[in-house]
Amino acid sequence: MDALTLSSSVNISKPFHILALSKKQQRERHPRTQFGVSCRGRKELGGGVEDNLYKVLSLSPKSATTDDIKKAYRSMALRYHPDVCQDCSKKEESTRMFVQLNAAYQTLSNPRLRAEYDCELGLRSEKISVGDETWRYIWQNQLAELKRRSHIRMAQNQGSWGSRIRPQNIN
Amino acid sequence: MVEPAYTVTSDSETTGEEKSSTFPEIAIGIDIGTSQCSVAVWNGSQVELLKNTRNQKIMKSYVTFKDNIPSGGVSSQLSHEDEMLSGATIFNMKRLIGRVDTDPVVHACKNLPFLVQTLDIGVRPFIAALVNNMWRSTTPEEVLAIFLVELRAMAEAQLKRRIRNVVLTVPVSFSRFQLTRIERACAMAGLHVLRLMPEPTAVALLYGQQQQQTSHENMGSGTEKIALIFSMGAGYCDVAVTATAGGVSQIKALAGSTIGGEDLLQNMMHHLLPNSENLFKNHGVKEIKQMGLLRVATQDAIRQLSSQTIVQVDVDLGDGLKICKAVNREEFEEVNRKVFEKCESLIIQCLQDAKVEVEEVNDVIIVGGCSYIPRVKNLVTNVCKGKELYKGMNPLEAAVCGAAVEGAIASGVNDPFGNLDLLTIQATPLAIGIRADGNKFVPVIPRDTTMPARKELVFTTTHDNQTEALILVYEGEGEKAEENHLLGYFKIMGIPAAPKGVPEINVCMDIDAANVLRVLAGVVMPGSRQPAIPVMEVRMPTVDDGHGWCAEALNRTYGATLDLVTLQKKA
Repeated sequence: MDALTLSSSVNISKPFHILALSKKQQRERHPRTQFGVSCRGRKELGGGVEDNLYKVLSLSPKSATTDDIKKAYRSMALRYHPDVCQDCSKKEESTRMFVQLNAAYQTLSNPRLRAEYDCELGLRSEKISVGDETWRYIWQNQLAELKRRSHIRMAQNQGSWGSRIRPQNIN
Repeated sequence: MVEPAYTVTSDSETTGEEKSSTFPEIAIGIDIGTSQCSVAVWNGSQVELLKNTRNQKIMKSYVTFKDNIPSGGVSSQLSHEDEMLSGATIFNMKRLIGRVDTDPVVHACKNLPFLVQTLDIGVRPFIAALVNNMWRSTTPEEVLAIFLVELRAMAEAQLKRRIRNVVLTVPVSFSRFQLTRIERACAMAGLHVLRLMPEPTAVALLYGQQQQQTSHENMGSGTEKIALIFSMGAGYCDVAVTATAGGVSQIKALAGSTIGGEDLLQNMMHHLLPNSENLFKNHGVKEIKQMGLLRVATQDAIRQLSSQTIVQVDVDLGDGLKICKAVNREEFEEVNRKVFEKCESLIIQCLQDAKVEVEEVNDVIIVGGCSYIPRVKNLVTNVCKGKELYKGMNPLEAAVCGAAVEGAIASGVNDPFGNLDLLTIQATPLAIGIRADGNKFVPVIPRDTTMPARKELVFTTTHDNQTEALILVYEGEGEKAEENHLLGYFKIMGIPAAPKGVPEINVCMDIDAANVLRVLAGVVMPGSRQPAIPVMEVRMPTVDDGHGWCAEALNRTYGATLDLVTLQKKA
C-alpha cells in the first residue's frame, strides 16, 4: 500500500460515464469542464487530474440544484453501497466507491464548501472581492499556517536568519 | 432439558463478511432488550415475528439457574413473577455486558436479587446466581449465550432450517468493546453476526420500507422525509434523525445514553423505601425476598401510572417492614426528573448534530417499552413543538422488524416486488481518534460520519530524533484521551531520526460496512514518495478486560516520550 496517501484512489469516471443522464442533464452538459487557475495549487501525487466531484455524482456543475445533488447521491448509494452489492467479490471496490461518493456529497451538499469547490474549478466568473467571506476564510487559514510554520522554524533554529547574522556583523 | 450445546470459541471470531453461497441463507433479526426480546425473519414477502412454544412473540430476557440446569425465558416459564427475583435468575445482562466494576451502571445492578460484587478497581464485576443455597458464578456473556442458544433453537424449530446468520440490535451508546462482547456471546451460541445495528437505525430501515410502500401505492416521487426516532427501553435511550427518500435512509445523527426504565424503577424503589441500599446490603435469603417484593410492587405501580393518575402501593416485606403509600403521577415524574431531562437533552443534541430544525421534522417516531409512559410521550412531543406522533409502528416490534429487513438485505435477498429495494446509510455513533497533542483526544473519524468511512490525519514527532511513536486509539466524545474508551494500541518503530516536526506520520482509520474498524499508520519523510517503514494495519478493538488499567499502565510507563502532535497539512 502506498503510504504517501493511505487512501487508495479508484478511477471511477468510466463506469459513471455509461450511466444514462436525464434528457435535461444531457442537453445542458458541457463537452469539457473548464479548469481555471485555483487559489491553492493541488498537487496530485498519483498523477492525472483529480476526479471532478460532479462527475462522481454524475451531475452537471452549473445546473445542479440541491435537490438534484440529493437525488443523485441516493441513486448512486443504491448502486454502490456494499450492503446492496450482489457480487461479493466486488464488495471492496464497492466500498471504495461509496466512500468517494460520500466525500463528494459531503462537499457538494454544503453550500459554503460547494462555493469554494466551484471557485477552484473556475466555474464562478465573478472576481473575488476583498469583502468575500470565502476568500477571507481561505486567506486567514493560509496566514495562520504560515505563522505556525514560522514559529516552528524559530523554535528549531533559535531565531530567524537575520537574528543569527546580526551578532556576527557586529563582530 | 438437555444441557445447552454452546461452545467456547476463540475471541478472534468476530463480525465479518462470510463467503457467498449459491442460495443465500436469510439472516434473522434479533432484538434482545434489557427486559424483553423478540425474533423476526423476512418470509419472502413481509417480516414475520417468531413465536415460542407458548405462542409468545415477545419474551422475557432472563436466564434462571434453578435446578442447576440453566434455561432462559424463551422456553421456560417461571411459575410466579416473584421467582424471577429469587436470586437464581440473572436478568439485565444487556446492561451488565462489557462493563467494568467502576461503572455506575454496574453499581446500580447491586440492588438486584442476583449477586453483583465490585472491587472498584476497573476489572469486570463478579456476578453469581443463587442455586441450592450456593452462589454460582457466571458472566453476562455466558448468560447471553445461553439465552441465544434457546432463541436459535426456537427459530430453527419454526423455520425448519439451520440458523447461523443474525442481525442484532444494539444500543447507540454501546462502545466497540461492548460490541465485541455481544459478538462473543453470539459465537458461543453458534451464531455469526452479520450486522450489529443501532436500535433507531433498525427503526429507520422499517420506516424507509413503509415510506417506499406508500410511495408505490400513491405513485409518488421520492420526496425526502425527515424523521426523528426516539427509542427508550428498560436499559437504554437512543435518538436518531434520518432523511428518507426513494428507499434510502440516511442516518444524519445518533445520540444515546444509558438511561431507561430500570432507572425509573430504581428511583421509585428508593423513593418508597429510602433505606433500601443499607437494608439489602447483606444479600441474605431474607433480604433477597424483600428486594423482590419491593421490585414487583414498584413495577406494578409504574405500569398502572401509565393509565391512571394515582396508585396505591401496599406491600409487606416482613420483619415489621411495611410500605403503605399512595403515589401519584406527578410524584413519579418528580422523582425521575433527571432521567426525563436527560432524554430531552439527547433529542435536542441529536437535532443539533443533524443540523435539522424541529420544524423540518416530518414524522416523530417513539418506540421501546418506555414509550407508553405519558411523561415520555409529552417530552418528545414538547421538543417537537406539538407535532403528532407517527402511528405506523408497533413500539415493541419496530426494532426487531427492522433488524429482520436488514438481515434479508445483507443476505442478498432479492424481492421481485421491490420491498427490499432499501438501503440504510449508517453513521458512527461515537468519534474515533488517537491520543495526541499532549493527552488530547484527536478525532480522526468524527461522530456521525457516514459508514463505510475512511479518513486520515497526519501527525508528527514531539522530540528531536524520536524514532518511536505510541498510537493509542480511543472511542468517545471526551476532550481528554482518558475520558474515552481505549480500543487498542500499537507502537510505530523505525521512524528515521530527524528534528521534531519533520517526519509525517499518517494515521488512517477505516470502517467497513460491517462496522469493522482498522487502523493503519505509516511514516513518510518530506520530499520522499516511499514509506520509510512498512505500513502497520491493526484491527480494533484489541484491548480486552480491564481496559481502564491498560490505559493507566500505558500512561505510567511511557508518559510523553512517544507522543505525537497533529500536523496541519496543506494540500
